Amino acid sequence: MSYQIKLDMFEGPLDLLLHLIRERQLDILDIPIATITEEYLRYLAMMQELDLEVAGEFLVMAATLIHIKSKMLLPPEELAAGEEGEPEEDPRAELVDRLLEYQRFKEAAQTLGHLESEQLLLYRRGAPAIDLEVEGPLAVSLFELLRAFREVLRRAEAPAQLEITPEELNVGQRIVTLLDRLAQESPLEFAQLFAGSRRRAEVIVTFLALLELLRRRLASARQAEPMGPIMIYRTVERVGPSGPEAAGSGQPGPPAPHQTGTTEE
Amino acid sequence: MGETLDRQAVIEAVLFVAEEPVPLAKLQEILGDEEPAATEASVRALALDLEGPTRGLMVQEVAGGFRLATRGEAAPWIQKLQQVKPAKLSRAALETLAIIAYKQPITRAEIEAIRGVAVDGVMRTLLERGLVRMLGRKAEAGRPILYGTTGEFLEHFGFKDLGDLPTLREIDELIGAQKPAGSPPPAERPADASGTDPEAPPADASPEPGPPSATV
Repeated sequence: MSYQIKLDMFEGPLDLLLHLIRERQLDILDIPIATITEEYLRYLAMMQELDLEVAGEFLVMAATLIHIKSKMLLPPEELAAGEEGEPEEDPRAELVDRLLEYQRFKEAAQTLGHLESEQLLLYRRGAPAIDLEVEGPLAVSLFELLRAFREVLRRAEAPAQLEITPEELNVGQRIVTLLDRLAQESPLEFAQLFAGSRRRAEVIVTFLALLELLRRRLASARQAEPMGPIMIYRTVERVGPSGPEAAGSGQPGPPAPHQTGTTEE
Repeated sequence: MGETLDRQAVIEAVLFVAEEPVPLAKLQEILGDEEPAATEASVRALALDLEGPTRGLMVQEVAGGFRLATRGEAAPWIQKLQQVKPAKLSRAALETLAIIAYKQPITRAEIEAIRGVAVDGVMRTLLERGLVRMLGRKAEAGRPILYGTTGEFLEHFGFKDLGDLPTLREIDELIGAQKPAGSPPPAERPADASGTDPEAPPADASPEPGPPSATV
């Protein structure tokens, strides 16, 4: 029995492409399609290796990339055949348009997120105090996690074949172990989670356990800057000073309210 | 007693009890004002009074009405009372919501075409939370359901109306600046979005950029 992590709340293929473009600092309007295809397929293979539930859309995008790549290899005359005078269309144009449009809404979503944070600080009657329906807190994207994970894997002992043996390594147990560790120390740097795991299979089980913790909102992953170190926080029901916005002094709670001088009755 | 109570005090009391934003017309009716301007003047006066340093509440104009809310600065103390921070929407939910807000009325297939990924789970969450609703059905094969945002959406993000939505124009300009002049127009879309005009404004409300507005 393999342990499958549901990814439906995570990102889609366009997110992965934008992630790769950012990671490699590529020009979105002039994407080196061979490089990006190779990288994309590498992430896809990693997700499949981990037995993450890879949505069909990821495979469709892979096919699209390969198709574009093959079109790019054709000499331009053949592309332009039949349309004289017309400038040849870049085979990437449609994909670029999709990426740009998606990026627009991603940024609009970010703006909405900021507004939401502001509004959530304004309490009012009739508003639910908590809503457990909301999905997991993943301030860093899945692909950032995968990137960091790849680094850890690289350092782990590398056998010829990747094999998960669920008999001795159990994701459920690892979840409990991780929670215990986070209870003792939070936040933990991503790489620290894997300290002591030398075997590849162990590293993988730990990573799957982490994904499950994030999905169940028992932990959250945050990052101060893009490509920076990823910190794993234990999610606590009680509000403590551990939140990112309370990252000042270790003093729990708000500063003392100051007295206003008005003493008129 | 209502006759002797100050008008502002009446508004304050009404807004305190109301669990939803109270439209100006409703306040006018309660106060028995001839003109909405008179009611509005009193609401603004109350809002101004509440801006004093000894007050923890404020009047917020949102979702076509007025409501009382605690000031943002008070949040850390309220969290001491409640011990729980309100949860935020997931990134996937925010993205889907952004697409719906700017493109409504929109079908699920059109949302998925933009996000590049299925949105079933996210849509269920948004519908359950009342942030999104069905507007009707699109006149095309299969008569797919059209979705749009709700009043709850406006409340959640503190918008007066859809005109309050931050404009996509800045983002467009940002991207447009990078785009070479000769690039193909985005109208050249695959046929899956055929018959739709994604740029068409929503029928009942326009998300065109309006003047930004905050609290009263």
